[in-house]
Amino acid sequence: MEVTVRIDGVDHKAQAQLIKGTLWVHHNGRTFTMETGAGRKSRKKAGGGSSDQIIAPMPGKVTKILLSPGTQVSAGQAVLVMEAMKMEYTLKAEIDGVIGSVNCTVGEQVALGKSLVQIKKA
Amino acid sequence: MAKFSRIAIANRGEVAVRIIKACEELGIETVLLHSEADINSRAYRMATKTICIGPAPTAESYLNIQANVNGALAGGAQAIHPGFGFLSENADFAEAVQKAGLTFIGPSPESIRSLGDKVHCKDLAKEAGLPLVPGYQGENQDVTHLISQAEKIGYPVIVKAAAGGGGRGMKLIKSSAEARELIESAQREAQSAFGSPKVFLEKYLDRAKHIEFQVFGDSTGKVVHFFDRECSVQRRHQKIIEEATSPSLTDDLRRRMGEAACAIATLGKYKGAGTVEFLLQDGEFYLLEVNTRLQVEHPVTEEVLGVDLVKMQILTAQGEYVHDPKQIRVPRGHSIECRIYAENPYLGGVPSTGLLGQVQWPEGPGRRYEYGFAEGDTITPYYDPMIAKVIVWDESRPRAIQKMIRVLKDSVVFGVHTNIPYLIEILSHKEFVMGTMTTRFIETYFSEPLKETPLTETDKKVAEGALMQLRGGGSGAAETVAASPWASYWRGV
Repeated sequence: MEVTVRIDGVDHKAQAQLIKGTLWVHHNGRTFTMETGAGRKSRKKAGGGSSDQIIAPMPGKVTKILLSPGTQVSAGQAVLVMEAMKMEYTLKAEIDGVIGSVNCTVGEQVALGKSLVQIKKA
Repeated sequence: MAKFSRIAIANRGEVAVRIIKACEELGIETVLLHSEADINSRAYRMATKTICIGPAPTAESYLNIQANVNGALAGGAQAIHPGFGFLSENADFAEAVQKAGLTFIGPSPESIRSLGDKVHCKDLAKEAGLPLVPGYQGENQDVTHLISQAEKIGYPVIVKAAAGGGGRGMKLIKSSAEARELIESAQREAQSAFGSPKVFLEKYLDRAKHIEFQVFGDSTGKVVHFFDRECSVQRRHQKIIEEATSPSLTDDLRRRMGEAACAIATLGKYKGAGTVEFLLQDGEFYLLEVNTRLQVEHPVTEEVLGVDLVKMQILTAQGEYVHDPKQIRVPRGHSIECRIYAENPYLGGVPSTGLLGQVQWPEGPGRRYEYGFAEGDTITPYYDPMIAKVIVWDESRPRAIQKMIRVLKDSVVFGVHTNIPYLIEILSHKEFVMGTMTTRFIETYFSEPLKETPLTETDKKVAEGALMQLRGGGSGAAETVAASPWASYWRGV
């Protein structure tokens, strides 16, 4: 909805909406979000695995698993392939190590933030 | 040929809405053939009739020929409009539609086979004497054979889906080390997106512009062109910003390329709307491919020429559209289209899915919005991430750019992230402003995820104040006033 916020005597108009605990604001030609703490837990940051694991950066389908548990892996090496919105995304290891566990199967539809592969640090 | 009283739409999203609107204006009813996942969409709500043809995965619904034909028959339609993507360039589909006694709104299956299959198209181009990019278009699809062909052409080489378009199943191979992985990946994407794993290889031109010509074959078989569009701003071979006409063509080039486009379309006995794509480098042009369908970016052509290509397609299929030789078409002003993708530009463009919140497209002269979803609809991970198109028209290219930036800044999409901040950056980039961008523009200047500019103190206070108002709370750090329409009305007086 449209809101007007007065700061130091000046009115600022914005659009704002709360969706599942996230505040969406459009102000001064720009849209941004703020987590309000309410609603669901703030989800893991999408976009990359946290060092020793590979996390699904988006909801989608696992189309190929390139390495199996026990295999050596080096940082930057492709580990699995996902498909979302008709595009393929290759997910890579962030550290050198050995593949620990693979927590998904080919063809599986996975949710955003799911830990797909564990890597034991070298 | 009899007039249609009802047309089935074998598509979804914004293009389904576009077709419904054209049908409404012509007094034709519509049947939307949709998947289970697309019940929450504008097209579903707007169509006269809806028929569910299968579950969300495209192979079981939008790419299922029999399900689409059966749906159209059950819905009492006399014709099928395939939109773009999915089955729009599938000759077997066009044939199945005909066999069922329905009209396919598009070229004949024979035209699709000769022009739409990129391999056959190149044979036809050779016949017509059109310049081609060096490559491999053979039937041998063995990966090892393809790799040896790529070596022969010399890297960088591009691998493409033979049956495809729109960037799916298309990869750039820079060295032999990554050839196998990328060719296999392209084959899988081609299979999943177009139902055929066939690919071909082509030399990658490293500073080329993407220029295409809109062609149209009328009911009598006469082909004319509707001038050019430039779509050099591409990421992973997917177009992001398109414009008409191209800022890069001289009158002489425009004439020669237009003639070449008409020559190949005429040779392919083309009927309806199609696009002949070229690469232009150092003043030389090469045929890229022919798209035997309506193009995503068709609105920019419509804006500069004042035509309605979708209505023309329908009228042509009814056998009643004939080019008027007395009408001389001259492009007027400049039009730009931006594709709005549901993705997070600060995370390198990963898809963003979920429930759409508030959506606002700011109205004004020379602004046009094509969108398939509204507040309360869900953006699912099953399909293309394009959720809307924003099109502007203005007197000149600089003014159109200026208008587009303003329009994007004033557009509101909540619930999913969009590439709007990224589009604004591109439109403001010096090369884009000068019109000298090539197909490598994005990888050269925008290969890194967009940096998020920190929120200002004012932004933060506005957010806090907004949150309090939304929760109906009292005052806090920022003083808030009620969002009464009168409050904002009187303030400016």
